This record gives sequence, structure tokens and C-alpha cells, in this order.
Amino acid sequence: MAAQRATNNAAQGKICQFKLVLLGESAVGKSSLVLRFVKGQFHEYQESTIGAAFLTQTVCLQDTTVKFEIWDTAGQERYHSLAPMYYRGAQAAIVVYDITNQDTFARAKTWVRELQRQASPNIVIALAGNKADLANKRMVDHEEAAAYSEENGLLFMETSAKTAMHVNEIFLAIAEKLPKNEGGTNRPRPEVDITQSNPPGGSKGCCSSH
Amino acid sequence: MAGTSKTSNGRTTGATIGTLSKIDAYGFKRGEDFDYKSYENFESEYLAVLARRMKRWNEKVLDNGQAKSVKHRRMVKRFCRKGIPERHRPMVWMDVSGARKKMQKEPEKYQKLLSSDPDTLEDRLVQDAINTDLDRTFPDNIHFQVATAENQKKQLNNILIAYGRHRPEIGYCQGMNYITALLLIVVKDEEKCFWLLSVLIDTILPQYYSKMMTALRAELNVLTEIVGTKYPNIQRVMDSEGIPWMLVASKWFICLYIDILPIETVLRIWDCLFYEGSKVLFRVALFLIKDKETVIKECNGMPDIIESFKNLKTDDRALECHQFIHDCFIETNPLPKAEIKKLRTKHVALVEEEDRKLAAKREAR
Repeated sequence: MAAQRATNNAAQGKICQFKLVLLGESAVGKSSLVLRFVKGQFHEYQESTIGAAFLTQTVCLQDTTVKFEIWDTAGQERYHSLAPMYYRGAQAAIVVYDITNQDTFARAKTWVRELQRQASPNIVIALAGNKADLANKRMVDHEEAAAYSEENGLLFMETSAKTAMHVNEIFLAIAEKLPKNEGGTNRPRPEVDITQSNPPGGSKGCCSSH
Repeated sequence: MAGTSKTSNGRTTGATIGTLSKIDAYGFKRGEDFDYKSYENFESEYLAVLARRMKRWNEKVLDNGQAKSVKHRRMVKRFCRKGIPERHRPMVWMDVSGARKKMQKEPEKYQKLLSSDPDTLEDRLVQDAINTDLDRTFPDNIHFQVATAENQKKQLNNILIAYGRHRPEIGYCQGMNYITALLLIVVKDEEKCFWLLSVLIDTILPQYYSKMMTALRAELNVLTEIVGTKYPNIQRVMDSEGIPWMLVASKWFICLYIDILPIETVLRIWDCLFYEGSKVLFRVALFLIKDKETVIKECNGMPDIIESFKNLKTDDRALECHQFIHDCFIETNPLPKAEIKKLRTKHVALVEEEDRKLAAKREAR
């Protein structure tokens, strides 16, 4: 279980499912962030993603269980034409860049612009400056990215899939920010799949990795 | 292929249960969920099939290890469907695909492409993109492992760069790295792999890898339409759940089933692909979809459906490659080439139209 656990009992709270998409230039670490968040693993040489990969992970907040349905997309420019299929209807997005590569930050900004124009109007967007463990090769200022995020109303964290720094945190911050009101953006799906697999009152906590 | 080179794939002669290597015959690490027991059961039968096929190929098709005239002979089509013996695979692929002819026609082309240095921004971007993916191509395969595989990586790099120069309007598309790497594992000859890659992308496949990937997007729409005709009940569920096949199947077409199905099964599909062309990709897609009919109908939403297609690499039915291919052709017949051609033309035009509208909308902002 990689994601942070909470000790409250989910059976008392709501269960919300959210679609989250990861976007960003090739080799910035999108798949590595997801792998760290979902399985708690890191591979130095992560296979390049083709098309997109689908994973799920559940996190628990104070009174809500949030199940993320994660689309991890391919980063190469030409796969851009496939991207709308993956971010359509997404309630959250993590746009990833590599702090050691200025071009990837520029690319991240164009993704943000595209999401602001084309994605769901209430989409929660987080910006992740990944590979923060390579600080000695840094090419993108923390302040610059933070200021940009501030201006654009984005969540922002520098992350490292390698050391796990801020990986769970960024997903949790998104989960916190997502509207969890009844009849909100979360699909009115039967709330059975999670509660049934975790008997109410069970001592295992409410999160389950998938 | 299993059984023909027992020492190289780490199996002892006269293998008994429990002696299967953690690395398969092609150098891939077997996953933690690999079912050794099922594989041994399958392999014990498949080895006999392979021996029989080898004998038949030697008797009927091959003449002193050379293919006789193989083009358009019904027998060869049937033989390719039943599997090309591993030893003959490079030669037969070269012959039936037309790659050998192309190579003979331009014997110096490959070296020229490699030694040319266009010194353009475009060429440098292609080189950078390829370079990014070199260490990320089959990192778990012993032939491409980072520390030990400099030579294979150099070959992979060369082929992809040469292809980018051969077709600068395509350049390099992620996915081509996996196809080329698997070609290298099987064919073990850099120049031949270049020609096989060229014939695949230039002739056999629609233009999946082009800069807008128009043909790929159209292909998924063609699939949707065929599923709608052949298996309307399945398509109805997909429509009501709002799941385009793109989400499930784009990698199937881009990677030609690499990393989707077990490696033996992939190669058996490629045996058909090189001889018969890209229609077999639809056959396999339809067969996989049909096989999940019950799961799809009983599923509880999008994640269930996507997940059900995730573990095909360890699926028993997919593992039994000989039966798989046999059943695949029976299940998906009839599938007329003319119909696919018509649908492709239609959907390419529709996707292009969509792109035009989108571009106009952006322009207007």
C-alpha cells in the first residue's frame, strides 16, 4: 500500500471516483509517478508508455474515500492527437515536467493552456516538477514554477518518483481539492465496489491498492 | 522458438517440471505472475507441433533451406498461419513480406542512410527522441539490458535513425522502438531488420506512425464499426459506458501486440502479418474482444472493462498460441479485405475532417 492511509472508517463516509489524467513531455516521469503512487515502486529504466496505461488507486480523506481512475498517457508530441480522448471528462490532471529540462516546462505550460480551454471547466490541475532529486542539474526555478502555478490556479509541488518525495502528497492534495458534493462531478456510480471488498468495521483501514 | 534451442533459453535437455528458466527463449524476464505450470503443459504439446511443422516446411516449402517461390501460393499462406519454424523465420519474413526484394534492389541504401548526416534540426530531434527511448526499450530483456547490451542498443539506434532519414515525414514514433527491438531479437541482422521495419511501415501497415497518427485513430474507429456489426451486444455496452476502443486497443495496433500478448503468440501473429498484411491485426482484436463478451456484459463500469484486457500476457487462452491463431481465424471469418479497405478510407476522411474543424476552431480563438 503506497498511498497514505487514514485511520477513519470509510464505511461511514462517502466514496467518490474521479478520473485523473497525467500529461507532459516524453520521459519526464509520468509513469514513474503513477508507479510510485500505486505500487510504491520505482524503476530506473521505465518502459516508454504507448497509447496510455490505466491504473486505479484509492486514498482516504477525513470523511471520504477517493478512488482515482488514472490515465497515464504517452508523452511524445505526435501522441498529442490521442490526448483529448484521455482527458475528456477528467476531473483532475497532473501536468508533469522535468526540473532538469527547461523545454519540458514550456511543454507543461502548453498542456495547462490546452486543459484550461478544452477540458472540463472545473478540472483540478496540478503541476508536478519531477526529478527533484536531481537538484544539481536543475534548469527550472522552483519560484518560477510556483509563481506560474499561482497565476493559473494550479496546485504545485516538486516531486521525485525516485525518492517518493511529494508523490502521495500531490495526489492527496488533488483529492482534497476535488468537489465531493453529492451530484457533483463524480459519477453517480453504485458505491458498492469498495465497501463490499472492505467489510464495514474491519480493522484493515479503508484503502485498498489495486 | 520454444524447444529448438534448448541450451540458449536456459532449459536443460529433457526438462522436467520446475526447470523452466526465469528468462524466456527471447530474453524476456518472466513476470512474477508467470504461470510455469500452465506454460509447461502448453509447451509439452507445442514442442510436438513445432517438430511437425518443421518437418512439413522442410518437405513442402523449403529447398535446401531457401524458400522456393513463395509468393501467392496458397500453401505458404496456410503454412504461415500454422507458424513459421523459428529457424526459418528471418528468411521467410524477408521473402514473403517483400523486404528481401527491396534490399536487393537498393543494396547500398541502408549504409548510405546511416553514414549520411543531414545536419538538420529535424534529424537531430529524431535522434534525441530515439536516444530518450533506448534505455527504455525492453529494459528487462537480457538482450537490451542497460549494462550489457551496448551492441544491440547501437543496432536499435542505427535502424531507427536510418528509418527516420528514409522517411523524414514520419521520423520516429514511440512504438517503433519495440517493434525494431523484437525484430532484432528474432532476425539478429541489423540491415535485414531495417528492411523489415520499412516494409512494415511503408507497405504492410496503414500510416499509424505519421505525425498526426490519423490512420491509427481511424483504425480504432474501423474496429468500433466492425465490432458493432459482428458483436452488436458488446458494442452496445461500450457505447452505453462511453468507452471508445481507443482506450483499450490503441497499443494493440501501435505495437502489433508486443507487450499485450505472450511473445510466442505475437510472433505467430507476425507470421501472418508479414504474409497476409494488416488484416490479421483486426482478426486478433476482434477475437480478444469476443473472448471477453461475458466479462464486458457483466462488468460494473469502465475500470472493469479496461482491467479485463490488461492481463492477456498471462491468459491461458492467449498463451496457447497454436490454438489461439486457429480459433482466431475461425471466429473472425468472414472478414473481407474490400470491406476493411472501404471502412479505412471512410474513417480516415472522417478523422481528417475532425482535425480540420478543430484546427479552424483554434484559429478562431
